[in-house]
Amino acid sequence: MRLGRILNFVLLVIFVFLIPIFFRSSNYYLIVLILCGINIILTSSLRLIASVGQMSMGTMAFAGIGAYTSAILMMKLGFPIWAAFPLAGFIAMVVAAVIAFPFVRVTGIYFAMLTLFFGEVVRLVISEWSSMTGGTTGLFGIPSIGTLSFFGIHIDFAHLLPYCYFVLIVMVLTLLILYRIDRSHLGTTLAAIERDENVSASVGINVIKFKVITFCIGCFFAGIAGSLYAHYLRVLNAETFGLFPSIYVLIYMVAGGRKKFSGPIVGALVLTVIPEMFRILKQYQPLIFVAVLFLVLFFMRGGLVDLPEKIRSRVRTVNEGRASNA
Amino acid sequence: MWGGLWQGIFNGLASGWIYVLVALGLTLIFSIMRILLFAHGEIYMLGAYVVYYVCVKGGIHFFWALMISALTLGLLGIILEKYMFRRIRGEMEPAVLAAIGLTLLFQTLAVIAFGTYLKYIPSIFPGVLKLGGVRLSWDRLLVVLIGLVLTLALLLVIHKTKVGKAMLAISHDPEAAALQGINVNRISSLSMGIGCALAAIAGGLMGSLLQLAPYMGTFAITKGIAVIILGGIGSILGAVLGGLILGLVDSLVALFTSGTIAAIVGFCVIILILLIRPKGLFGHD
Repeated sequence: MRLGRILNFVLLVIFVFLIPIFFRSSNYYLIVLILCGINIILTSSLRLIASVGQMSMGTMAFAGIGAYTSAILMMKLGFPIWAAFPLAGFIAMVVAAVIAFPFVRVTGIYFAMLTLFFGEVVRLVISEWSSMTGGTTGLFGIPSIGTLSFFGIHIDFAHLLPYCYFVLIVMVLTLLILYRIDRSHLGTTLAAIERDENVSASVGINVIKFKVITFCIGCFFAGIAGSLYAHYLRVLNAETFGLFPSIYVLIYMVAGGRKKFSGPIVGALVLTVIPEMFRILKQYQPLIFVAVLFLVLFFMRGGLVDLPEKIRSRVRTVNEGRASNA
Repeated sequence: MWGGLWQGIFNGLASGWIYVLVALGLTLIFSIMRILLFAHGEIYMLGAYVVYYVCVKGGIHFFWALMISALTLGLLGIILEKYMFRRIRGEMEPAVLAAIGLTLLFQTLAVIAFGTYLKYIPSIFPGVLKLGGVRLSWDRLLVVLIGLVLTLALLLVIHKTKVGKAMLAISHDPEAAALQGINVNRISSLSMGIGCALAAIAGGLMGSLLQLAPYMGTFAITKGIAVIILGGIGSILGAVLGGLILGLVDSLVALFTSGTIAAIVGFCVIILILLIRPKGLFGHD
């Protein structure tokens, strides 16, 4: 990595470590931070899947699989957190792998429909399988991820501030991994596949294999995000992981911008924070999403990340106009 | 047991025709405008609420309320086509996202305007026809009748009128159709209008059979998409058969297990079809 990028990363890490302390007195802001972190992980994972041209409408279904796996493993089978948490991601990845092979052979809109229906099946199975998942009443009393004691310091993750750090650290690790993938040989291959599948196949790229791999990695992180959510909220229910939440994640990604790596981060941040600011008008919150979505669709196809760029080029055009008139 | 089975079949057919009406609109819009109108379910929902307000609050007879609803939503469809979808026609991704945006918009507005409590439209023809142990409710029979009539009307329009043939032409090749002097914009508006009108009628009918809720649209769109996958995109016959089959499956499986399992089975069937034969029964694309 170039020095500039390492510097950016270090700044990000420092920033991430300072913010929770800044907000430590307010439970509300800590919760918003936790939700931002989780949404950033979800949206970035969706971006990875979308980077091969697959629009997944089942992100939250995999988050749900991760969430319930982690919760059930800890509650019913007594797994400790350091096992349950990664397993949440792995089980989501395994399910993804099973359905990926048949699903990725199918293109574009059909793939989106498949993920939509799969998401619905997952949601229905969760509500029907009451013995495991609490069915429609939901799953209560999910344990917190525990405590950590060292050097005389005792951290209890049932409290918001430590949990917030936990979420943010996982987020930073996730972004690191996804960024490295994006910049790696794998990332270039994926870009090639998205540009033109046939040409890629003709130069020897095993398109199916790469699509499956991307889908699995993306769903792994979705599962992790789901697990984070489960241990934050301590209560789960099938509706949280339905169709509309998946659509929201898709909107975060589109609104932020799909091409740049920072796009989903911006999208998730903006669309998590702004609706929270309008919490009083709870019924009207989705309208904010609609407004941002239409704004991006009709004026800023590249997403909100492009906004600085657009403003800059507008200013430039205006300045050039002035210069030529002078 | 047998009585229950026939009952299930009859009910399945009735709900099946509602799925057919939704799917017809969806497939018409997709064939002509190449857009999977995700918001079709919301049009259905709005149609139901218009019927509710016109019929229950306005005191107008259900039949006329259906007409008014169809006209209103048809008009809305035309406006949407003209000002929104025409600008992004041809590009799949923005169109789907715009439709998703509309879905959110309409659903939120519905919750705000109509509230989340369930509303009911009283039955137009209360009572049942008892035929050999099976109770055929008159309003379900009416649904079947309306479904049949509208489908036949649509088939007639498409195959016998000039406008209909223009639609067929556009669905095969929009550019060639334009070269033949067909006004693609106007026909697109028209098909959007017809599609939305059909959805509105479906919504009104379903509202009278069951109940109204702001989220009833989600149910409709998932069934609608399932039907056109089953029957094949672009095929009216496919939409009819697909709708009826799905309606029957939903109803009959629910007889033996629960409603949720019936839905799971339904979706798994659709997933299998998408994997094995994405074209569906009669599709061509």
